[in-house]
Amino acid sequence: MGSPEQISQVEDIRYVYGEIPVNFAYTLGVAGERFFREIMENGRFMGTRCQQCEYTYLPPRLYCERCFAGLDDQWVEVSSRGTVEAFTVAHLDLEGQPLAEPQLLALIQLEGADGLLVHRLGQIEAEDVDIGLLVRAVFRPRRQRKGSILDIRYFRPVAP
Amino acid sequence: MAADREYPGTPLSDDDVSQGKVLMVKIDPNARYAWDAGIAIGRFLAELKKGRIVGRRCHRCRRTMVPPRMFCEECFRPTDEWVYLEDSGRVNTYSVSYLRWDASRLEEPTIPAVIEIDGASKGMGIMHLLGGVKPEDVQMGMRVKAVWKPARQREGSILDIRYFRPY
Repeated sequence: MGSPEQISQVEDIRYVYGEIPVNFAYTLGVAGERFFREIMENGRFMGTRCQQCEYTYLPPRLYCERCFAGLDDQWVEVSSRGTVEAFTVAHLDLEGQPLAEPQLLALIQLEGADGLLVHRLGQIEAEDVDIGLLVRAVFRPRRQRKGSILDIRYFRPVAP
Repeated sequence: MAADREYPGTPLSDDDVSQGKVLMVKIDPNARYAWDAGIAIGRFLAELKKGRIVGRRCHRCRRTMVPPRMFCEECFRPTDEWVYLEDSGRVNTYSVSYLRWDASRLEEPTIPAVIEIDGASKGMGIMHLLGGVKPEDVQMGMRVKAVWKPARQREGSILDIRYFRPY
């Protein structure tokens, strides 16, 4: 049984528009704070290492997820060079709108780290990207850095 | 008491956040939406813009329903006709609220109420606010009447009625 009424006038009110203000601030925590300050102030990646598990967290964790050991005094510098472990080409933005330029996104394992970072690839075309590609972080100039993951512009390919 | 116990962790003070002493990511997502009102509520809202409350009648159970619906939930059949109702009624139930929708505090409380609309079947009513009355003077069964926005300010919203006042 269908609805007995048809919409006959387009000016009929059919939609109620609304907006939910949901702005929020995400603080990074102790390990995240140090991680991003090191990127901003020193242009380097710092992870935390669990000696027991022989695992280096990047992004850093304050506690080992495997054995729960405290890692707040186990900071190690990690290379800004690494390899592409997985990648994708994004054609849509966060709201599903087409991007002017497709973006290359990759999971990158930095040398000396066991964890993975998600970031953009640059100075390379999609058809030239391969798993195992060697890449290096391209940092923004010091004055432009804000303590954000975008303090790194992208990762670019490097010769092996 | 559990409340006195200290838990491990790294608390943040208001200053840490408001003065930007710690790094943070501020996110302001675009949470706009359009809610499809459907045929019955669409007409209900369009009529509010004209300063009228409209209901919907079922010929089988003879109920007059407000807010209107295109389908009778008791008879499992489409409802039959539109009927204009009065913009007055009785307080079915009410509450005194010191909170906004986002749970922030109100100095002056609002009085949300369910108002049984004159011309609709018993127990049929709409949620709205009471105004022009102190919380302590509100009673269940009290007669109230809609206070409308001026016609030019109405936009086809339930808020085209400002509130219901004693009458």
